[in-house]
Amino acid sequence: MGDRNFEARLESAFAETPVYGDADIFVLRVNDALERNWLMRRILIGALGVTGGLIGGAQLLRSGLIDHLGAVGGAWRVAGNDLAGLPLSRIFSDLFGGGPSTATEVLWMSGAMAIIALGLFVTRAMREF
Amino acid sequence: MAQLAGRASAHDMDLVALSVGGNRDAFGELVRRHGSGVRALLRRMGADPATADDLAQDAFLAAFEQVAEFRGEGTFAGWVKRIAARLYIRRWRRQARMSLGAEAPDEDMGVGPGEAGANARIDLDEALKGLSQVERLCVSLCYGAGLSHAEAAAALNAPLGTVKSHVKRGLDKLKGALVAEPSLSSQERVYNG
Repeated sequence: MGDRNFEARLESAFAETPVYGDADIFVLRVNDALERNWLMRRILIGALGVTGGLIGGAQLLRSGLIDHLGAVGGAWRVAGNDLAGLPLSRIFSDLFGGGPSTATEVLWMSGAMAIIALGLFVTRAMREF
Repeated sequence: MAQLAGRASAHDMDLVALSVGGNRDAFGELVRRHGSGVRALLRRMGADPATADDLAQDAFLAAFEQVAEFRGEGTFAGWVKRIAARLYIRRWRRQARMSLGAEAPDEDMGVGPGEAGANARIDLDEALKGLSQVERLCVSLCYGAGLSHAEAAAALNAPLGTVKSHVKRGLDKLKGALVAEPSLSSQERVYNG
């Protein structure tokens, strides 16, 4: 038997798949492991999300944003302005123009992060359902 | 049910594409198709059945994680087999059961050329038992997992010449055992795990 012929036969013999009696059990075992991994990943992502949210919320509170929003709202009431009647540019100007720069930056950053988080959530939800 | 039937008839690459999108059912079908092949390769490399099943499971989990990297060069089964083979080598080296360079081939365990009769049935699994473990590993890597000699040497972290020698000796022994009657193959036997 030539070497090449023998090697081809050997490759064929390796390619033959034996029939194991517990093949179905093995498939279930792998599927269970996949499911377990996925569950662990979701728990981890959820935990990280909650932690990130808590940190973000704490940062917002520490930045004095709430006080700034209250002050802007109070100024509007004193001036007799109706919020619904104000142009959007004015509202943005009052909110982001007059406050401390750190509060403005935090607000913009929080908004951007919220949009990114929403995008991730939507794409994940689309893949899941 | 129709979805299940459709999945059963789907091509591997279609199932891979679904798996890339996170479809675990599609990947489950791939496991059903190729699980036994991967388990068999690991056993042929020398792993005991329990270890082979553990490593085969790990290989499929790793394959699911990396499935987006599979571009269809070669078969999906071959790709998973290479992952499984590398996992086995890693474990084998960690356990340091033998040293490739220092190991003397187990000549007394081998089946010499011509030793088996011309009518002996082809039984790869039995024939592989006649090889030393390192010969078995090298032959299985090259002919079962589809690695080139150079790739096998890199995976084993051994000199290319050493791997070639082990493959040559292994092939010589197998030649004596694997003869004639191609209809009688390991495929037709039912294993009990």
